[in-house]
Amino acid sequence: MLKKTIISWCICLLVFEGFGQGISVRFQDSTSLINEIKEQESIPNLFFRFEFPFTEARGLFLSDSSFSWSKTDSSYISKPFTNGKEIDSLFLTLPADSIDLKFFVFEEKSDIKGVASYLETLHDTGDFILSEDQQRPEKDLVLMASRNHYEPLDEYRNKLMSDKGLFSVTLINILFIILSIFMIIFMVIFKKKRNQREYNIKAFENEIIEPLTTILFEKSLDEIKEMTPEMISSIYPKQIFQKRLFKKVLIDKIIGLNKKMKGDFKDKLKVLYKKFGLVEITKSNLKHRHWDNVVSGLVQVNEMDLTDLLPLVKEHSQSSNFHVRSQAGATLLNLSEKVDLKFLRDQSYPLSDWQQMHYLRIIKFVSSSKSLNIPILFSSENQSVREFGIKLVRMLGRVDLIEELHKINKQVLEEEKAELIKTYDVLGAHMEVDFINQCMTSDNSELQKEAIKSAGNLGNEESEKIILDLLNQDPDFPTRKILLRSLFKLNKQTFEEYILTHASHENLSIQAHLLDPVLNHV
Amino acid sequence: MYNFLFYFLIELFGVAFMILSFSVVIIYLTIMVLSALEMRDFRKKNQYADYQDIITSPIAPGVSIIAPAFNEGSNIVQNAKSLLSLHYGRFEVIIVNDGSKDDTLQKLIDAFELKKTDYAFHPEIESQPVRGIYKSPNKSYRRLVVVDKENGGKADALNAGINISQMEILACIDVDCILSSDSITRMVRPFMEETNRKVIAVGGAIGIANNCDVKDGTVTKYRAPETTLGRFQVIEYCRAFLMGRMAWSRINGLMLISGAFGFFKRDLVMAVGGYFPKTVGEDMELVVRMRRYMEEKRIPYKVSFIPDPLCWTEVPEDQDVLARQRNRWMRGTIETLQLHRKIGFNPRYGILGMISYPFWALFEKFAPIIEIIGLIYTLILMIIGDFSAIYFLGLLLMVYLLSLMVSSFSLLYEQIAFNNYKDKKDLNRLIWIILLEPILIHPKVVLWAIKGHIDFIIGKGGWGKMIRTGFKTAEDRKNIETQSNSI
Repeated sequence: MLKKTIISWCICLLVFEGFGQGISVRFQDSTSLINEIKEQESIPNLFFRFEFPFTEARGLFLSDSSFSWSKTDSSYISKPFTNGKEIDSLFLTLPADSIDLKFFVFEEKSDIKGVASYLETLHDTGDFILSEDQQRPEKDLVLMASRNHYEPLDEYRNKLMSDKGLFSVTLINILFIILSIFMIIFMVIFKKKRNQREYNIKAFENEIIEPLTTILFEKSLDEIKEMTPEMISSIYPKQIFQKRLFKKVLIDKIIGLNKKMKGDFKDKLKVLYKKFGLVEITKSNLKHRHWDNVVSGLVQVNEMDLTDLLPLVKEHSQSSNFHVRSQAGATLLNLSEKVDLKFLRDQSYPLSDWQQMHYLRIIKFVSSSKSLNIPILFSSENQSVREFGIKLVRMLGRVDLIEELHKINKQVLEEEKAELIKTYDVLGAHMEVDFINQCMTSDNSELQKEAIKSAGNLGNEESEKIILDLLNQDPDFPTRKILLRSLFKLNKQTFEEYILTHASHENLSIQAHLLDPVLNHV
Repeated sequence: MYNFLFYFLIELFGVAFMILSFSVVIIYLTIMVLSALEMRDFRKKNQYADYQDIITSPIAPGVSIIAPAFNEGSNIVQNAKSLLSLHYGRFEVIIVNDGSKDDTLQKLIDAFELKKTDYAFHPEIESQPVRGIYKSPNKSYRRLVVVDKENGGKADALNAGINISQMEILACIDVDCILSSDSITRMVRPFMEETNRKVIAVGGAIGIANNCDVKDGTVTKYRAPETTLGRFQVIEYCRAFLMGRMAWSRINGLMLISGAFGFFKRDLVMAVGGYFPKTVGEDMELVVRMRRYMEEKRIPYKVSFIPDPLCWTEVPEDQDVLARQRNRWMRGTIETLQLHRKIGFNPRYGILGMISYPFWALFEKFAPIIEIIGLIYTLILMIIGDFSAIYFLGLLLMVYLLSLMVSSFSLLYEQIAFNNYKDKKDLNRLIWIILLEPILIHPKVVLWAIKGHIDFIIGKGGWGKMIRTGFKTAEDRKNIETQSNSI
């Protein structure tokens, strides 16, 4: 309602705005307007003609060629004139009482109001200057100009600022230029720094290697153990030793040598690592908030046998970061006095193949010197840990644990059963044939295939029967191939008989495959 | 009325181009950030990784390397030897002779003492008839299998190889690629690391071997190629592999693994029916179909990417050859997107449907068309006198600078991560190419891509009708094959 009222008010204001005013702001009436035109030599697109009706036609002035009169429906009309200053002189030659002056704007007839409005517009755009303004001395113009607020630069700035599209494009371009320049500069600086760093590393390596090898070859383990801090600090110049990069290179060098060397040298390097005070760096790495630094610390603990730091390592064994908990696990396996594998049993995260591969290597390495409690893994709540336990039995050749495995035959999931069967197969556990036979009829195709494969090596007469039964169920080609291979291994005679009685193209091709000496293991 | 419509369209296009330009800027900046994060993590992870264990570990998965060969007689023996010398414990090399007309097969038989065997296999994935499977009685070549088959194209040859393969992981490569000796160990790692998601495929970065020194199957000295086109491809490969794919890998949105060097889970490749031989973009199509399968089955998965330079190839430096390659790539992209159009903007397909597919459709498939429309639009503005030179120059500068920024960023990446182009001169040459590429080479690339569109429309190559129909599900490819057989 309020909106409607306001709009009505606005309309009223607009309607009544013109009342009480002249024909325009600058021309109070038609006389002042005509007087103004009379002062102008020409006004763009404005001209005037003289007109008089037929009834008033007189031969004398009609013959005046300066007007070039032409005849219309009801009157005579002169040619167009543009020079206002001629109006009066032209009028003098005409009978003033009956002559009309007509104005034309853009060749369209216009009344006096239209002409006034047109001149207003021209005046605003600067294309028309009032006669009084033309006559003013130059000084006044300057004064007037100085009174006006001149702001062309502001207008230009506003135009750029107000055009949002142009503004954003300009802004983005500036950003891009800066980024591109920054990147190219960064690339050059980075390359330079990197080269410098590589050069420093090389220089430090050269600096490190000679004193280090001298100590390793000239001093016994006990002598190194007895070295005082003063003796240690005199090995390398103090200024260089303070540098972070130097210490990093020293750590890498010691760890690198430790990997390559054997026996006494390893112990010497480990003692030197501690004597150089590098354990502090390892400690700070272990407490670092960036996971890559923590992994770096764990590697240092592992390589340098820093058993004192094992409690800190343990804290990371359940880390949510795969790399941290993986390395922590490897370190614990390597350094713990008792490798009871408890930490592994309690792992809540699934063990990836990558972790299993690393743990297997370490377990293989420590299995000769430490007692491993592998069966503890079978009771883990984590399926991947249980599977790893079964794999360990197989890969370490622990025939003594077959009995332990037998106990879990019926408790475990199908995937674990497949691992169990693989293990029985590798270890030649003939006593588990019943379990294998049972699994040959499993609905789980992976388990079934493993069981059929194992039956070829560990099977009995019962296995043969099951294989023949399965063959009669028209299995798919890959399964048929496994079944026939196992049958071939178990009993060549039964195999031949089966092929004779079932001489299909598939069976014959599998037979040819199995008999081909080049394809022995394919 | 028509006048109004014309000006309305002009306005509409103007707004659309403006939105598109700014989205390109935002997307590329996002890609740069994502790839930087991914590269940082990758380098951190790699710092302490010990790849020696994988070579001998019984836990590491077996890998079947499948390399199709067509008329490769001149280099096939050397290439096969190079593949057989890779450092890995459990792997086999399957070379598929795809009906070569030269002496490829005979050279292999002679060099590796091959014998035709009675290898029994069931072609689970359809391919052209296999004429013979060869193996060597010599134990030194026990890993080598040679499949001789009728010609059917690269995808068909790969399918034949997949049928024969025995291992869990398939490495599909170009036989003429140079593989680093530790390429398998590095590519296998993502398959072994993940526990919560199944890694279905791993892509590798391809390096450019033109003008480089190669010793024992590894590039020992990098040099920028001699020609402008060669150098341009160095920059382009840096952009694609070190930036683009790293970023997509970060959000698990990778839709393309290069056909020259890609690792796949065999069981999954079999489940989706192998490569689709009727498209020229078989590498991208397989990845999309595998991803689609996982999404449809609601199984968590990941497609990984390894930016290490592990595989090198010679890129075409001849303009005609390059034009044909780009034409083929564009047709491959269009065909793949067409085949799987159901996933576009479909929230059921997660990142694949909502981000990867629309990005590929807009910024890869339609990009050259949009560029041409932009050009026409500018000309129209000029004709009708509604052309703002300052705007035009501003936007042109923006696009140029974006290109400059993205390219220099990817080169910077290369320098930070690998620093292969050590020579300052090489670096300078590459920087020059970055500056000139948008003016000298990009227009040509657009034209080649447009030609690809035209060729697709007129039905050159590809499998027109089927591609128009598209796959209703990822497993449809198997049904389509059966239908085509029965006809």
